[in-house]
Amino acid sequence: MRIYGRRRLVTGFACLVALALVVGACGGGEEASKTPPAGEASGELRVVSNWTGSEGEAFQAVIDAFKQKNPKVTVKVEQVPFDQTQALLTQQFAAGSPPDVAVALPGIIRTFAGQDLLLNLDAQWDAWVKDGAYTDALRQIASGPDGKAYAVYFKGNVNALVWYSPEQLQKLGIGVPKTWAEFTAAMDKAKAEGVAPLAVGGKDGWPLTQWTDPVILRVAGAEAFNDLARGKIGWDDPRIVKSFQVLGDLVGKYFPAQALGTGFIDATCAGAKGKALFDNQGAFMNLIIPAECDKSLKPGKDFTFFLMPKYDAAMPDAQFVSGDLFVGAKDTKNKPATLALLDYLASADAQEVWAKRGGYIAPNAKVPADVYPDENDRKAAALWPRTASVAAGYDLDDWIGGEIQVKYRQALAQFTRDRDVDKFIATMTKVDTRAKD
Amino acid sequence: MASRPTTTVAPAPREAAPPGRRQEPRRRARRLERFAPYLFVAPLLAVFAVFYLWPALVTVLSSFFRWGLLRPWSPVEPDRWRFVGLDNYTTTLTDPSFWNAVLNTAIWLVVFPVLVVAFSLLVSILIWHTTRAGTVLRTVFILPMTISLAAAGVIWSFVYNADPQIGVLNAVLDRLGILDADWRLGPLELHPGAWLSNPGVLHLGVADVRLTNLVLIVPAFWAFTGFGVITITAGLTAVPYELVEAAKVDGANAWQTARRILVPALRRPLVVVGVVSVIFALRTFDIVYVMTGGGPAQDTMVLALLLWQQAFAFLDTPQGGQATAIAVLMSAVLIAGSYPYLRQLIAGRSR
Repeated sequence: MRIYGRRRLVTGFACLVALALVVGACGGGEEASKTPPAGEASGELRVVSNWTGSEGEAFQAVIDAFKQKNPKVTVKVEQVPFDQTQALLTQQFAAGSPPDVAVALPGIIRTFAGQDLLLNLDAQWDAWVKDGAYTDALRQIASGPDGKAYAVYFKGNVNALVWYSPEQLQKLGIGVPKTWAEFTAAMDKAKAEGVAPLAVGGKDGWPLTQWTDPVILRVAGAEAFNDLARGKIGWDDPRIVKSFQVLGDLVGKYFPAQALGTGFIDATCAGAKGKALFDNQGAFMNLIIPAECDKSLKPGKDFTFFLMPKYDAAMPDAQFVSGDLFVGAKDTKNKPATLALLDYLASADAQEVWAKRGGYIAPNAKVPADVYPDENDRKAAALWPRTASVAAGYDLDDWIGGEIQVKYRQALAQFTRDRDVDKFIATMTKVDTRAKD
Repeated sequence: MASRPTTTVAPAPREAAPPGRRQEPRRRARRLERFAPYLFVAPLLAVFAVFYLWPALVTVLSSFFRWGLLRPWSPVEPDRWRFVGLDNYTTTLTDPSFWNAVLNTAIWLVVFPVLVVAFSLLVSILIWHTTRAGTVLRTVFILPMTISLAAAGVIWSFVYNADPQIGVLNAVLDRLGILDADWRLGPLELHPGAWLSNPGVLHLGVADVRLTNLVLIVPAFWAFTGFGVITITAGLTAVPYELVEAAKVDGANAWQTARRILVPALRRPLVVVGVVSVIFALRTFDIVYVMTGGGPAQDTMVLALLLWQQAFAFLDTPQGGQATAIAVLMSAVLIAGSYPYLRQLIAGRSR
């Protein structure tokens, strides 16, 4: 040791040999491409999805149906955890080894499209919109910052559904609320009877955003909502400020004391078991309530929903949606099969496969209403924006994504605690600087 | 060359060179003798260089550039570099989110090691005293170590669950009739039952210390104490029992025996447990990620989680450089903090 000590460091650094790094070759610019004729695609596809359990099985059934139509294609589905999807996809795309087809939300679609990583699907959307399968409003959701389409809409969801137990409502002598006044009166009555008016799973962050979206939409209107989502107006816009005053009142009067300490599933089941009167959530609850809380609960009979009433009856109809889209990698080694699968996922055929299993809304307008297995699914599917006359926009924070989304959820938790509208607006104005740029 | 017997670690004895040889080969042999050991450790050094030194170097370098996960900084693509100098450091050091995370991490750094060292010392001495139940007790404290930290977080989330029908702690509070109470004791604000949402705040004027962090430290402590118990009980076996007996004969009570004989004899293992738990506390991530995700708001955001968010969640506003800047700052603190331990370790080796 004594003898060699001096040179140890020198040798160590000498071993720092240069690493040969292979730099991925850049692909040339390609324009929108045509889907190959049915059954002609061949080869292998790698697909990333994030569904597990019964949803995972439903997606596999869709993939199996695709394989039947395209026997020459082999599809390998990789399931990744939902909250890690974004990071995993980013790593794979950045490393130049992306999956051929991957599930994605609008925030990441725009980020990837902005980096020229996705297959252009304008030709396909032209045909679908012309055909009446999809609307232009939905096409916008699947578009990149350049206004071109880069994704297909595969699984729909509508939000602002207030879930309740008909038995509970009857017990309290409350009718299904049709106006905002009836909505708050019902919650007041529950409170007086010792039943928690609302179930809120604020510990998981996103359930709080399920409240902001419908309130902004109902108080500020669809135009302000979409402008806020796209950074055209700031959070200090008076219409947005007013929305948060309304929300602050709701939080103060009706949110449970433990809203931030309760997780989504616990809140869901508290609502389903009659510990709380209402639970404002999405259409996906139809699958989650029986699966997570009590298998004997029957959709339509033991639990159902009404659409959150308008705050101002004079406001025009607007439906705000969320759900899952799929993108194709521009660097795919099997472009024909990738396009064939994307085209299939957007088709009425593929979507019927899952719609029959329930807990799903087909975004393709050609899927008939009678394929849905129960009343709740049919009612929710009927709310899907099928015609151009209904304004459609996407779940606000999933649309924005990235840093603003994370900080928005943090600010919402703080707002739930102190209901300080000025502080919340000031925080968001600092976080979201898009309107000023 | 092959015929010459070589020794690896220990210096080859000078006498090994047979006497009476000519001057030339002897010098060559001596040179070889000096050089050979490097050859043997070279593979290890190469592994160290490629997997430890190189990433560390790239991390430090990349903290001076602006980049995100989607276009990672690469040392071999200078045409894509966006050099920003010390910007990542100044942005980080002026960001209130960073200082909030520093405060929360500081709570971990102070509370966690103290809890671990104090508790495992106490338990180890008790185990050492009890001859029969020793093995059983040791097993009880070591068992949680077999559980991954993420799993420990999930388990404790049940314990802390707000619903008294699920969470055991709130079931007790419910029985006592103090669930959802609101207490104020001077600068201290307490909300029993709101374990993970807002159990309490200590208002210190300059900063609010969120007690939620303490709630998260408990599961980490639960899972980690086994390490302290193993290390200290191992140290205790080396304490000569005659010393303790002699102290007893001299009339020393239990406290005096522990204070004057056991603790000085246990200095080494105590330093090891202390330093390792400091490192553990500084890099804490999994428990927080699983139990609160840094929330509510940023109440439990720690540095490791903040840098993870900047690197992996903020894709639209690339902050990889800021994330590595935090990593570099953390490493600097960690190296400075563990220096006494490292020095002792190195000193111990050469003795």
